[in-house]
Amino acid sequence: MIAKIYSSCVLGVDAYEVTAEVDIVGGLPHFNVVGLPDAAIKESRDRIKSAIKNSGYSFPTTKIIVNLAPADIRKEGASFDLPIALSILATENVIDFSQLNDYIFCGELSLDGKIKPIRGALPIAMAMKKMGKKIFILPKKNSKEAATVKGIAVYPVSTLNEVVDFLNKKLQLNQEEMNLEAIFKRNSKYKQDFNDVKGQEHVKRGLEVAAAGGHNVLLIGPPGSGKSMLAKRLPTILSEMTLEEGLETSAIHSIAGILPDDKVIIGTRPFRAPHHTISDAALLGGGTNPSPGEISLAHNGVLFMDELPEFKRNVLGVLRQPIEDGHITIARVANTFTYPAKFMLIAAMNPCLCGYFTDPKRECHCTPFQIQNYLSRVSGPLLDRIDIHLEVPRLKYEHLTDKRRGEQSCEIRKRVDMARNIQNKRLCGHGVLFNAHLESKELEKYCVLEKEAEELLKLAILELGISARAYDKILKVSRTIADLDGKDIIEAHHISEAISYRSLDRNLWG
Amino acid sequence: MGREKKDTGNAGERIAASYLRKKGYRVVESNYRTIFGEIDIVARLAGIIVFVEVKTRTTSSLGPPYLSITKVKEKHMIKNALFYLKAHRLMNASWRIDIVSVKLDQALRVENIELIENAVEDDYI
Repeated sequence: MIAKIYSSCVLGVDAYEVTAEVDIVGGLPHFNVVGLPDAAIKESRDRIKSAIKNSGYSFPTTKIIVNLAPADIRKEGASFDLPIALSILATENVIDFSQLNDYIFCGELSLDGKIKPIRGALPIAMAMKKMGKKIFILPKKNSKEAATVKGIAVYPVSTLNEVVDFLNKKLQLNQEEMNLEAIFKRNSKYKQDFNDVKGQEHVKRGLEVAAAGGHNVLLIGPPGSGKSMLAKRLPTILSEMTLEEGLETSAIHSIAGILPDDKVIIGTRPFRAPHHTISDAALLGGGTNPSPGEISLAHNGVLFMDELPEFKRNVLGVLRQPIEDGHITIARVANTFTYPAKFMLIAAMNPCLCGYFTDPKRECHCTPFQIQNYLSRVSGPLLDRIDIHLEVPRLKYEHLTDKRRGEQSCEIRKRVDMARNIQNKRLCGHGVLFNAHLESKELEKYCVLEKEAEELLKLAILELGISARAYDKILKVSRTIADLDGKDIIEAHHISEAISYRSLDRNLWG
Repeated sequence: MGREKKDTGNAGERIAASYLRKKGYRVVESNYRTIFGEIDIVARLAGIIVFVEVKTRTTSSLGPPYLSITKVKEKHMIKNALFYLKAHRLMNASWRIDIVSVKLDQALRVENIELIENAVEDDYI
């Protein structure tokens, strides 16, 4: 006898329908799972056997063949425990599977028949409409995120008995309901605010420009100057997350299994700060069964790389492509996956090994060679993708004890939003969103300089030793500054501000 | 094999057969010879063919009798069973392998008897 129960698995960021077929044939008792299962699924037979037995049902003592179709897609994770167990129970006539064509079942079983949480409930729920399924039965812990998807019914379950009784209409289950908009709104508040940071007004201004134009930023300063604190507050001045963006980011977090329980849906732009010992696979995503990396978890948000020169060389190398493309494609023998990775990069570093080179109060004891060596760890091509370099000086005593609070994030965000609107209007036909992504042809078209500004830029190139590479960056950044100012033509003071954000080009040290 | 060991084995198998009958098994064959060896008992229970391996011991110095059944022996049991099924044209029937573990005292009286249903699972094919 053959029974079929439908389930789903996530590949990359998309979910696919998977059918758990069970056939019972004569022969020596035997339990085998086919259909490219991974080790967790292979082991499921022992979990399923115990779970069925300990839930008070009999486990068939015959040859059991489980097929997970389509057979050519590699399946991973323990979420097939529940559908396989149900198919087996269907062959024993405990439940009637012919009525379950609209259902998707997911869940890991424990030996006593309890149902444990799974990964990727949100993308599965989002894909159900495409699969033509209407009812999603899944572990209680994951039910909230799935319930935010409209057009499907979500039933949370916690034991195998509950599922069987529900399917046999012996038990009424409450449908999980969530008001997506309300939750999203509730979650779209940040804990931090820019007015927590004292002083450092020019850095805040630099971050405002960066946020407005989507420019990547590098903060350079001695230890304890507040680099991390400033970086952490960058998401709060980015334009508010749209619902669509929130769902995209939440889906990636759901796949990684780190969607916070209390939040259900992510409403604030993510801030990811990987430690500098991170491997390239952990940053980009990877593994034999790929899972999203830090850059994808930072999708629609901010990736903060503290102590930039301490990162491994190959890690910094692989970062270049996703910064350009906004997504990452991971090619493995079995499959190729694409994860979105649209993030703003904010990096922080000390000016030298000891950290005090630019500090007026404390002496630096690095040799010029050491400083050169330290700075050269960050490769040119990566620096090429960072438009704004900001020096973060040590805080003065007056600033530290100042009782006045700075400007609030929401006020800065208003200006950022305005500048972004101007950009959107100008760039909507070019397939780019921000000034940071302007190509040189568009640069020429949109970066019109007034006479005085042109003179100043010429002078800067001749006198300050600014390279051709930096020329484009200065144009882009000055475009953003002019947008913040609400001006169409770039003026001299816009250019001079932009030049001040290129401290690494000015050969200040090293 | 020494006389004594054979006596122990035979006694164990007799005891196991009567034990199984009491449990509702219908014993079809005992000591069924195949080219791979011997099946101690072939029985039927509710339409299932049950091949029974009887393991008898008189001392517990080596642990309970069923401990002496190794993976290699399990493989042999499966081969023996398949031989029987083929010979009797029963290849599509449901079947299983049980173990009866018999502990006797020195005078060959039953001290303990234990039935392990579904003792062998097919992990080899």
